[in-house]
Amino acid sequence: MEVGRLPISASQRSKLIAAGYTTLSSFSSLSPSHLARDLKISDNEAAEIMRVASHSHRLDGSAGGCGTVNGAQTAWDMLHEEEMFPRITTSCEDLDNILGGGINCKEVTEIGGVPGIGKTQLGIQLAINVQIPVDYGGLGGKAIYIDTEGSFMVERALQIAEACIEDMSECGGLLRKDSQACQLKMHPNNILENIFYFRVCSYTEQIALINYLDKFISEHKDVKIVIVDSVTFHFRQDFDDMALRTRLLSGMALKLMKLAKDFSLAVVLLNQVTTKYIDGSFQLTLALGDSWSHSCTNRVILYWNGNERYAYIDKSPSLRSASAPYSVTSKGIRNSASNCKRIKMM
Amino acid sequence: MAPLKSLEQEYPILDSNFQSFCASHDIFSVEDLLLHDLYVLAAFAEQESSSERLKQGIAQVLSIIDGQHQPWLNGIELLEDAQRNKHVLSTGCEGIDLLLHGGLRVGQLTELVGPSSSGKTQVCLLAASNVAKKHIGSVVYLDTGNSFSPQRVTQFICQHSDPAIDQAKHRTLQKVMNNISCKSVFDIFTMFDVLHQLEFNLRSQMQGGDCKVQLLIVDSVSSMVTPILGGSGSQGHALMISAGYLLKKLAHEHNIAVLVTNHTVGGDGGISKPALGESWKSIPHVRLLLSCDHGGSICNVSILKHPSMVESFASLFTMCAIDLSLSLSLSVRPFYKLFLLHMVFLFLFTLFNFFSSGCW
Repeated sequence: MEVGRLPISASQRSKLIAAGYTTLSSFSSLSPSHLARDLKISDNEAAEIMRVASHSHRLDGSAGGCGTVNGAQTAWDMLHEEEMFPRITTSCEDLDNILGGGINCKEVTEIGGVPGIGKTQLGIQLAINVQIPVDYGGLGGKAIYIDTEGSFMVERALQIAEACIEDMSECGGLLRKDSQACQLKMHPNNILENIFYFRVCSYTEQIALINYLDKFISEHKDVKIVIVDSVTFHFRQDFDDMALRTRLLSGMALKLMKLAKDFSLAVVLLNQVTTKYIDGSFQLTLALGDSWSHSCTNRVILYWNGNERYAYIDKSPSLRSASAPYSVTSKGIRNSASNCKRIKMM
Repeated sequence: MAPLKSLEQEYPILDSNFQSFCASHDIFSVEDLLLHDLYVLAAFAEQESSSERLKQGIAQVLSIIDGQHQPWLNGIELLEDAQRNKHVLSTGCEGIDLLLHGGLRVGQLTELVGPSSSGKTQVCLLAASNVAKKHIGSVVYLDTGNSFSPQRVTQFICQHSDPAIDQAKHRTLQKVMNNISCKSVFDIFTMFDVLHQLEFNLRSQMQGGDCKVQLLIVDSVSSMVTPILGGSGSQGHALMISAGYLLKKLAHEHNIAVLVTNHTVGGDGGISKPALGESWKSIPHVRLLLSCDHGGSICNVSILKHPSMVESFASLFTMCAIDLSLSLSLSVRPFYKLFLLHMVFLFLFTLFNFFSSGCW
């Protein structure tokens, strides 16, 4: 039935079907008041239904390309578009290498690991690295940091920002020794000003915020990264209805995907781990179960290997599975200081 | 079906005279007409003054009803249609092609089921690049997870070609990539709009040609359906089933192969089962289960459901940087091995018995 695919509420749909209107053309020629009388609803509701129906009907009739759909891009165009968007560096060369240059815009990346491995540190580093000016190879954008656990420390962010500016001025000094115009005018306070911080305390707040982000980002068009730390925290405890949790999580994941695609920004989700009984032994897997594991484009797992911190690409459409070491220093995330610098390919 | 008065605009023969005649017999919509005894109605129409027009009106409504269903086909016509139109599209991976006896069949809905990072998106990208490359037709890719990677598609297309002639290769690459169109859809209503638009476009340019759509990939259908499935109403369930039927209708009427992906959820006893439940199980024609070794690059494909094959064969393929190549040939499941062993023993036993009794 054609009315089944209209985005209207279930009660309106059942009233339409009960009155005998099962195809769009059957009521498209009626006046809203006529429809309102038939369905016993208000005029405004009837007008809304007619508007939605005529929109769908118009989409049907509009001609696309040769057999293609409206709004679709060819793969060739997408290939060239990809080259236009630089990636967000993580300040650790090995990590950047396995990520193909850094965190990609227009994609949702999930980063998970045991507590204390450096997820929040990586989140803060990315929030600062996105602000690297275009001249220095960055995006020059702003960051949104959504904190659910309360682990964001402003003093640490200031420390990392100062270290980043130091690194940039060193680089600038090496590359452009003569020009005064490229002198760095950035101050750590400017960097902190460009991080929009939201603190959420329950899952309803989290979902409401993600719904609101659409409007927020349309007003602040230069936001280039959204970091959620951590996305699972409020969904792990006190949830009686597991089916509701699955629905809420998958709805949230789709909205984040849409945000990433529509506004061409990177979405980074930090996740916790849990144990799972696989093949006769307990293994560490990311929290929130099987359905959530499909809600990201890329997945990076951080783990301990001896005394070293390692990052492993678990899921990616175009990157090879590989792992690389990194370390957390007072300046932020940097290359691991060990002797063996080779990336281990899987 | 619609009330009769709303059909008046399109079919002027169903005028107010006809409607009042029907109303006098308690018929207000097309459904009521179907439930009524048509001979009795025609007899009543004879007695009216404008009997000819009324009978024409009844015939008109009946022809509207007839137009709603597919035409009747007999076996010969079905066979001709299958031989002429419903060929097989190679996926580009020998292992899967071997398993499916050729590849994805046009007119059928194939589903790839598997846990996360088991290679579903890779198989979809490979199939898309293969169909576009062999100039079989164009590909429509509906992506819900921003996982369509043009770089990976380029890798698949350029793997076998000669690295020498750059300019010509560039042009062929462009031509092939232009055959793949990708659209991001993030909810099921958008997908319905896109599919109906595609149907309209296909119906209006039936003559085919170079840009005829041969493959439709939806990656993944489960992430669109999961937010609406379950809960208080059955609306989500209805939407899922109608989406499935729409995909199958597109496949059959317009000679397209449809490939969708689905994820797995935990089932009874810890064994994972495909998501979307029991009702979705009957919708795809072919269901393939993909699984990957943890940390390894060997992936396993097996058939969960197929219209003409037994679900016991599995095939292994390796996923590496360049392509998905066949690593081992068909491996028969252990159950059948045991069965064969059993038969061999039975045979030897009867032989032994025969000889021992013969010696007596």
